[in-house]
Amino acid sequence: MPGLNKGDIIALKNGKTAKICSKLGEGGQGSVFLAEINEKKYALKWYHKGTVKQPDIFYRNLENNIEQGSPSDAFVWPIYLTVKNDGEFGYVMNLMPNNYKSFTDFLLTKEKFSSISVVVNAALNITNAFRELHRRGFSYQDLNDGNFFIDPKTGDVLICDTDNVAPYGEALGIAGKARYMAPEVVRNITAPDVMTDRFSLAVILFRLLFLDHPLEGKRTLCPCLTEKLEQKFYGVSPLFIYDPYDTSNIPVRGVHCNVIRLWKYYPKFIKDKFIYSFSQECLHGSQRRLTDNDWQIAFTRLRDCIITCPCGSETFIDLKADSSVCINCGRKIPRPPVLKSKKYAAALFPGNKLYRCHTIEDSDDYTEVTASVVRSKNRPNVWGLRNLSDNTWNVTLKDGTTTEVPNGKVQIIVNAHKIDFGNCIGELEF
Amino acid sequence: MAGIYDDVVEVARRTMVLFFVVDTSGSMEGAKIGTLNQAIEDIIPEITDISENNADAEIKVAVLEFSNGAKWITPTPIPAQDFTWAYLNSGGMTDFGEACKELNEKLSRNSFMSDITGSFAPAIFLLSDGAPTDNYQPNLEALQQNNWFKKAIKVAVAIGSDANKDVLAEFTGNAEGVLTVHSPEALKKMIRFVSVTSSQIGSRSAAVGNTAPDEVVSKQNVFLEQVNVAYNNGDFEDESIEW
Repeated sequence: MPGLNKGDIIALKNGKTAKICSKLGEGGQGSVFLAEINEKKYALKWYHKGTVKQPDIFYRNLENNIEQGSPSDAFVWPIYLTVKNDGEFGYVMNLMPNNYKSFTDFLLTKEKFSSISVVVNAALNITNAFRELHRRGFSYQDLNDGNFFIDPKTGDVLICDTDNVAPYGEALGIAGKARYMAPEVVRNITAPDVMTDRFSLAVILFRLLFLDHPLEGKRTLCPCLTEKLEQKFYGVSPLFIYDPYDTSNIPVRGVHCNVIRLWKYYPKFIKDKFIYSFSQECLHGSQRRLTDNDWQIAFTRLRDCIITCPCGSETFIDLKADSSVCINCGRKIPRPPVLKSKKYAAALFPGNKLYRCHTIEDSDDYTEVTASVVRSKNRPNVWGLRNLSDNTWNVTLKDGTTTEVPNGKVQIIVNAHKIDFGNCIGELEF
Repeated sequence: MAGIYDDVVEVARRTMVLFFVVDTSGSMEGAKIGTLNQAIEDIIPEITDISENNADAEIKVAVLEFSNGAKWITPTPIPAQDFTWAYLNSGGMTDFGEACKELNEKLSRNSFMSDITGSFAPAIFLLSDGAPTDNYQPNLEALQQNNWFKKAIKVAVAIGSDANKDVLAEFTGNAEGVLTVHSPEALKKMIRFVSVTSSQIGSRSAAVGNTAPDEVVSKQNVFLEQVNVAYNNGDFEDESIEW
C-alpha cells in the first residue's frame, strides 16, 4: 500500500527531515499530511506511485518552482522537496489557516460572502495573484473551484495546488476539469498555457460574482451529461448564457437561480467584460482574451463605485447618472462627488477609500489606503477626504486659492476643485 | 443589514448515482456477505465526503440485491449523506437476469434518473461469487441497449474462483472491468477502491488535456487506468485466507 504513516520520518532534499503527524486529506494524485519540521507544523503532499505521468520532469519542475520562490503571498507555494523514496516523493508547504474556506464551499453555500466588497476584493486578489504568476513566466494550467480558498469576511485569497505550475511553454500533462478549461484544451488542440489560464480565470471570476457557470444554461440542461456532451458544451460549441446574439442557452428559472438574481445588480461595464470574455470570438480564441491586468483594472473600477447606503447595505453607484437606486432598500441616491484621476473615477461617499493606484501616477497598488472619505462629527452632511498618505496634498479650492493638507488632515470635499497628491492630480466632479 | 449574497442558494449540481448490485445467493453466506456488508458500510462516510465537497455533482446511492429474484433495497437513489447501509443476508439462487431487468427498468429518465438538473452517467458496481442460475441473457442484452448503462462506469468484483468472470465481463463490457478477489481482506480493499475511485471520477466534470485532438476519453477508461495503477502498485495483493 502506498502512502505514509504516522511517525514516518521523511528526508528532505535540504538535509532536514519531516515527521508525519496525521493525514489531512486525500486526492486523485496523492495524500496531504500534517508534518513537523524543526518543531514547526507544515502540510506535506505525497504523490502515490504511478499517479504522476512523468515523475522525473514533475520532480524537476517542483525543484525549479521552489528555487524560483512564490510569485505572490496568495499562493500556497512548495517550500521544500522530499528525497525520492522508491519512486515516490512529495513536497512541503505552509498550512492553510482556518479562516480561509474553499471556494467550493461558497458554491455549495456552506460559506457566504459577507458583502459585495468582499467578493470584489477576492476578485482583485485572484487576478493580482495570476498577474504576478504570469509575469514571472509561469502558467497555472489547472484552475478550478477546488484550488481557491477565500476568507469570507475580507476577501483575502490563498491559491493551492501550485504543483502543476510550470514555466511558459511547458505542460506537465495534467488533466483539468472540462468545466474550467479553455475550449481548445477541452478539445485537446492546445496544451494549457497562459492564454488558456486567462479563459479559466474568467470562469472563476464569473462564478465568484454570480456562483452559477457561464456556459451552463438551458441548452446544457440535459438528462445525462456524458463525456461527449462535455466536449460539446465546453469545447466544440460553448455558448455564454448571456450571449447577446444567441439566447438559446439562457439561465433557467429554478435551476440557475443565483445568476438570474445577481446579474442584474452589477454595473453594465463589468457585465460587458464577461460578455466580451465569453463571446464566440474569445471562446474560440480568435479575439484576445482579457489579461489579468485588464481584470485588475476592471475590478478596481468596480470597487470605486460601491458605497454603503444609509440603510446599511452596499450598493453600486452609476458614476455617469444623476442618481442611483439602492439595490437593497430602493432609496434614490444622488450621485456623490467623484474623484477623477488618469485611470480611475472613484465615488467619494462616506466610508469609501482611495488607494495608491488613485493617488500615485501609474501605481497599480489597490491594497494600500491613501485617503478615506469621512463625515464631520458635528455636521454629518459635511464630507471630507482625510489624507492617509505620506505626501502633503496641494488642494486647489473652487475659489482658485490653494491650501496644503498634510497626513492625517481632512479636506472638505465640496470646497475642493483639484488635488495634487504629490505626483498625480485628481479632479473633483460634482 | 441585508447583502445580495445573503440569499444565494447552493448551485445546481448534477446527480451521480452509485449503484451497488449485490449477489446475495446462498453461496455468499458467511465471511463473504459479512465482509461485504461491513466494507460498504465503512466506505459510506468517504463517499459522503466526496459528495459534500463537490460542486459538480451530488452522489446518491442505490442498492439492488439478487438471489431468488431481485429486490431494490433503496426505493429511489438516496443522497450519500442520508444513506445508511442495511446489512444484507444471503440465501437462494443467483437470478442475475432478474437483476439486469430491474436495473434496465430503473435506468430511465422516468425512474431513478429523473433529477431536473440532470445527471452524470452512473457508476455501477456489481459484486458476485457465482454464476447465473436463471436465463439471464435476454435481460442482459436488453440492459446493454440502455443508454444510461452504455455510458456508465461499470465494474464487477468476482469474489473467489467460482465466480463466472465471463458473465461479469459481459456485464462490464470488457475483461479489464472485472476484478477478482480471493480473501476478505482483498474484498474490503477492493470495495473501498472501486467505490471511492468510481465516485471521484463519475461525480466530477470530465478530465481533459491528455489525449489526441477531439478524442473523447470515457470515464470508464479513466477508471480502468486507475485500476492499472493500483495493480502495479500492488494495492490489491493479499496472501491471507483464501476462499
